[in-house]
Amino acid sequence: MTPLLEVRDLRISFPRDGTTPLVPVDDVSFEVHRGELVALVGESGCGKSLTGLAIPRLLPDNASLGSSTRITMDGTELVTLSESAMRPWRGRRIAMVFQDPMASLNPVMRVGAQIGEAITAHQSVPAPEVRRRAIALLAEVGIADPAERVDAYPHQLSGGMRQRVMIAMALAGEPSLLIADEPTTALDVTVQAQILELLDRLRRERGLAVLLITHDLGIVAGRADRVLVMYGGRIVEAAETTPLFAAPAHPYTRGLFASIPRLTGDGGRLVPIAGTVPPPDQWPEGCRFHPRCPVAIAQCAAERPPLAPVGDHHLAACWVAAGRTP
Amino acid sequence: MTGWLLRRSVDALLTTVLATVAVIALVHLLPGDPLTAIVGDRAIDPVQRAALEQTWGTNRPPLDAIGVTLSHLLRGDLGISFATQRPVATMIAERIGPTLLLGGLTLLLTFAIGLSLGLWSALHPTTLRARLIGTATLIGYALPTFVIGMLLVWGLAVRSPLLPSGGFADPLLSPDAGGAAVLLDRLQHLALPLLTMVLATVAVPLRQQRAAALGTAAQPWVLAARARGVPQARLAWHHVWRPALTPIVTLVGLWLPMLVAGAVFVEALFSWPGLGSLLATGTTQRDVPVVIGAGLLLVAMVQVGSLIADVLYHLVDPAQRPR
Amino acid sequence: MKSAAAGLGLLAALLLLALLGPLVAMDPNLQPALGDGTLAAPSIAHWLGTDQWSRDVFARLAHGARASLLVAVVAVSVAALLGVIIGLAAGVAGPWMAGVLRRVIDVGLALPRVVVLLVLLAALGTLPLPLFAVVLGVTGWPSLARLVRGEALRLRHAPFVAAARALGASPVRVAFREILPGALPPLLVAAAFGTADAMLLEAGLSFLGLGIRPPSPSWGGMLLEARDYLGTAPWLLLAPGIALVLATATATLLGDALRRSLTPDQR
Repeated sequence: MTPLLEVRDLRISFPRDGTTPLVPVDDVSFEVHRGELVALVGESGCGKSLTGLAIPRLLPDNASLGSSTRITMDGTELVTLSESAMRPWRGRRIAMVFQDPMASLNPVMRVGAQIGEAITAHQSVPAPEVRRRAIALLAEVGIADPAERVDAYPHQLSGGMRQRVMIAMALAGEPSLLIADEPTTALDVTVQAQILELLDRLRRERGLAVLLITHDLGIVAGRADRVLVMYGGRIVEAAETTPLFAAPAHPYTRGLFASIPRLTGDGGRLVPIAGTVPPPDQWPEGCRFHPRCPVAIAQCAAERPPLAPVGDHHLAACWVAAGRTP
Repeated sequence: MTGWLLRRSVDALLTTVLATVAVIALVHLLPGDPLTAIVGDRAIDPVQRAALEQTWGTNRPPLDAIGVTLSHLLRGDLGISFATQRPVATMIAERIGPTLLLGGLTLLLTFAIGLSLGLWSALHPTTLRARLIGTATLIGYALPTFVIGMLLVWGLAVRSPLLPSGGFADPLLSPDAGGAAVLLDRLQHLALPLLTMVLATVAVPLRQQRAAALGTAAQPWVLAARARGVPQARLAWHHVWRPALTPIVTLVGLWLPMLVAGAVFVEALFSWPGLGSLLATGTTQRDVPVVIGAGLLLVAMVQVGSLIADVLYHLVDPAQRPR
Repeated sequence: MKSAAAGLGLLAALLLLALLGPLVAMDPNLQPALGDGTLAAPSIAHWLGTDQWSRDVFARLAHGARASLLVAVVAVSVAALLGVIIGLAAGVAGPWMAGVLRRVIDVGLALPRVVVLLVLLAALGTLPLPLFAVVLGVTGWPSLARLVRGEALRLRHAPFVAAARALGASPVRVAFREILPGALPPLLVAAAFGTADAMLLEAGLSFLGLGIRPPSPSWGGMLLEARDYLGTAPWLLLAPGIALVLATATATLLGDALRRSLTPDQR
């Protein structure tokens, strides 16, 4: 079955005065199928948010895509579309939910109006019908008293409710793909679970594909169908969730798992990953993780490892994990 | 909301009363005899002296005198002008209209132009036009108002006589001239003083709006709205301009005293028959009753304007509105 | 910093004009050639031309510069003095007095400066120049007082103030020795901008015939006289006009530079 979304050779660069451009995302390729929940996991600075923004072409004006970059959705190539040709896709086929629901909602506009915008931006719908749909969406995302809440201002709602509103706004256009960039990071732990539950339910009920961008491996377990691990602007491991959690192949992924505190187990020391993430203009040659890698070999510094199979539907970009040299 | 409005109005009223007392007290607290302060070097007859004592309480201790004057003020009696021998209240009433006209139109134009250019500059910050606008308004702000006025008179009334260089109306215009002719004449006379005032003060709302809009344009909700497919025009209006509005409204209250100062000099330069020029000529003639009367009215107008601006601020910022 | 350099350069030029100009130029009140020497365009003999009484414009400009600077400096000093006293008192006094003084400052701010000035000038009549400068300064205290009061409120809870009180310093001493120095930086910035305001006000008043009285030269007075000769002798407008703009630009640029260097964390 053809994938809903295909990203090939995504490369994002920013020009800099007097020196080489900054390339925070380099050669990222993946697919998302209808109804799938794909998690894009990585620390801050690895380029995952930029990857998410690239799909609906919401990158800053000074960003350039690589010449071989292709972003294809339902057969249409998005990279070559003009801005006015792109706008009908946003909200309508591709929707985004952002990290900070307070800052992502216009403080002087009622939430109902903001949801309504997502509808009227793409269809000509009479006002009473827009309002009815907005109330229905609020109910669908689990907000109590939707008929009253629809006239509320963002500051009158709690953090969890605001994020639900954001999801309602995202659903208003009936998209096929929802990109959620750290949707729960700004929320309390209990609310986090509720929001993720909501996303899951909507996915099942509407057949929505979800690209979940997060740094938190914990929320990925039991929800994502597939996981993509990013480091240094590249994908270093890609697998279905269960095999990844059972046997992470890439040393970085292993390091991530090892540094998660566990309630069970022998309560040993947390094992952090040595070193820190270098800034995007100081990525090392070869495998970008090699200076911090506990099992690095000479090969790793010299040549960049490609994504290679290390198991069933399980890819990793690591010379050691793939057990081979070129 | 009404509770707050009541308190704010009482506050404005109190400040106005205190300001009035302060102005009256100025005259009485100056070194020397208050009568001399009011009369100056003029010779006055016993009738005039009696009238002055009545209205200004010049023969009584300062506190009593202030009370006397206040009570007269409340009854609308501001004394008699030395220069014209007419009641000050009448003179002021004649002059309010032109000042409100000039001031009101200045307010409208300055904010309309300032806000729209400021928004445009924020949305297209790197263009040459935006930078030129910024520099031009700054120069206008730095130039004294009457210098701008004279430059305009020189350019548009003297070198190329397009517009009249002063006055409110053409004295030679026939009284039978039709409404259109009268309107055109009024507009022509309004043009230069209005242009002067606008050029002198447009920098303030423009720069404030630009800064505010630059701030809001960078906010996450704008990106979120774009992600919903909201078109550019709607983005600019609802998501960039509207949230930036709240600090702009407070500007009006601060800008009003600037307007008063400008009004005095511009009205004097253009012989515009308003309160400002009345204040200026009254001071030159040492016509204290007129100066105090006109001055107090201007103070009251500034307070009212500031109150209106505060009310607007509360209406514009939904976080302030009680629910 | 470009603006600081520009400001200092302009200040140097201004001081040069005001201090040395009158020494170099001819008598500004001299009317040597009433017949055909009036309204002469700029030339070698008269660098900026002559006015309607054949007086040398450059000389009048230079003397006017001196007068304007003097008035502005005196006015700002008076305003600062008053502002500091009232503002400090309002910031450090006990609750009742502080409330009263706050109301006083509010009323002071509610009165447009121009209005108060005109009332005073109407009541006082023609004043000698130093007194005029003082009166101009007296009307400028409210905004400085508000600033100083704000700083005093901010600083009164600072540890070093508490330490001084603990050592037995009287409130007055604390106010002047501990709090005032902390309020100085923003005060200096405000004083620089206040100098520009004072210069503009003085020019405006002289333009109305209420400031520096003729025949003493003043930029405002020169602008007033230029009104009738805009078509025939535009240099009468341009010389004092440009000088006034440059002088206020000097104060503004220096104020900006001071603000950036003295109060980097404030707007």
